[in-house]
Amino acid sequence: MRKLSRRQRLSAAVLSVLALLFVSLDFTGGSFAGARGGVTGALGSLYRGTDAVLGPARRFLQGVPDVSRNRAKLAELEQQNRQLRQQLAAAQSDRSTASALARLQLQSDSQRWQVEPARVIATGPGAGFQWTLTLDAGSADRVQAGQTVTDGVGLIGRVLSVQPHTCVVLLVADPGSGVGVRDQRSHQLLLASGRGEGGVTASPIDDGTDVRVGDTLVTGPAGQTTYAAGLAVGTVSSVSTGADGSITAHVKPATSSTAADVVGIVLLPVRDAIRPALTPSAPGAAG
Amino acid sequence: MTVSRIAAAIAAMLTALLLQASLIGPLTFPVPVSLPVLLVIVTAVYAGPGTGLGLGFSTGLLADLGSDNPAGVQALTYLAAGLAAGLLGSLALRRRSQTRSVAALAGMLGAATCLSTGLMLSLLDSHGATPLTTIRMLIPVGFTEAILALGLAPLVRAGLRAQGVRAPKPAPSVLARVPDVLG
Repeated sequence: MRKLSRRQRLSAAVLSVLALLFVSLDFTGGSFAGARGGVTGALGSLYRGTDAVLGPARRFLQGVPDVSRNRAKLAELEQQNRQLRQQLAAAQSDRSTASALARLQLQSDSQRWQVEPARVIATGPGAGFQWTLTLDAGSADRVQAGQTVTDGVGLIGRVLSVQPHTCVVLLVADPGSGVGVRDQRSHQLLLASGRGEGGVTASPIDDGTDVRVGDTLVTGPAGQTTYAAGLAVGTVSSVSTGADGSITAHVKPATSSTAADVVGIVLLPVRDAIRPALTPSAPGAAG
Repeated sequence: MTVSRIAAAIAAMLTALLLQASLIGPLTFPVPVSLPVLLVIVTAVYAGPGTGLGLGFSTGLLADLGSDNPAGVQALTYLAAGLAAGLLGSLALRRRSQTRSVAALAGMLGAATCLSTGLMLSLLDSHGATPLTTIRMLIPVGFTEAILALGLAPLVRAGLRAQGVRAPKPAPSVLARVPDVLG
């Protein structure tokens, strides 16, 4: 064991007395505020610099004991996240459905139609056609073949075949589909035909018809059409004239039939009052 | 004491205090492990009681002024730790497994310093320290400080052997007087 020299013993005694003096001075209210403030300030700024470097390592080490607990918590949060995403998707779907139903209701009110809402449950070829939809409404819901299907904005197609609880709809874009349409500007009739992915084209019934880009086409009574009248089919995007002089208008569809989720089947127009006949005006009333 | 030894001591003190505040303290909470006191003890073991008491007093005072403790409490306990480590250090250095012996001594003295500081603070009614909580922490403190000392001891030993920090040799005139003193 080492021994203290006389000088070291003296130093130890002096420093001990000094320390005790500091304790008693500070305990009895002696002012160390200045020294404390200086040291705290200097160490504080050094500490902030050190913490910027060592902080990440410290936080990592502090997190190590909680790894297993954090893993369980992470799994729980992921589960919650999945549930919330499902709820969000359901809410978005509900909003989309509500919006589609609102559009159909508006159309029903304005056109005085009875409309049966239905959801698209399948797409693809069916009943000998390429472009069809299957809806979750059928004869049990008063759906009949030939009825018009709309999404509340424009024409989707017509009912091709009906089962008790489902029906197959032929889309306007199908190459086998033909729709009688009326040009809203010139009131001329045209026959619109599906071109698959190429959209829809329309040919005037009367060769002398003036069709212009931007004209709006709506369903109209052309040929044997069974479509409800007045539904938007699309807008003329270009007009071309063939070598034989025939006019073909390329139509931008009013609605994307393949994007439709909730659609309405027009059951029948509502007739809640007898349409009054026109009678001759009283003499002298004209003009 | 040379200027380079003083500079090395100040650098070591500041490093220990900063590491204590930013790493050791938060990581070992609620066990009050103290890296500065460990530095004082390990340095004193290798450098002797003179260095131990000077370094202990200055490190303790700096720690006091940088905290809310009454000034002088840690200065006194660290001084005592440095002194004790300096006196007992030769016992640890005599053993074959020097680093482990130093670590064991550092753990014991660290726990003793924790006890004395806790008792003084509880006497002064500072920081809500009580003798019971202090005693309850003694074994964890001693154990953790002994583990830390296993890493710190080689560093301090290497630092004290470094050029410029090594203790100056006695002057030739002093050495010339040695036979006279002995005789």
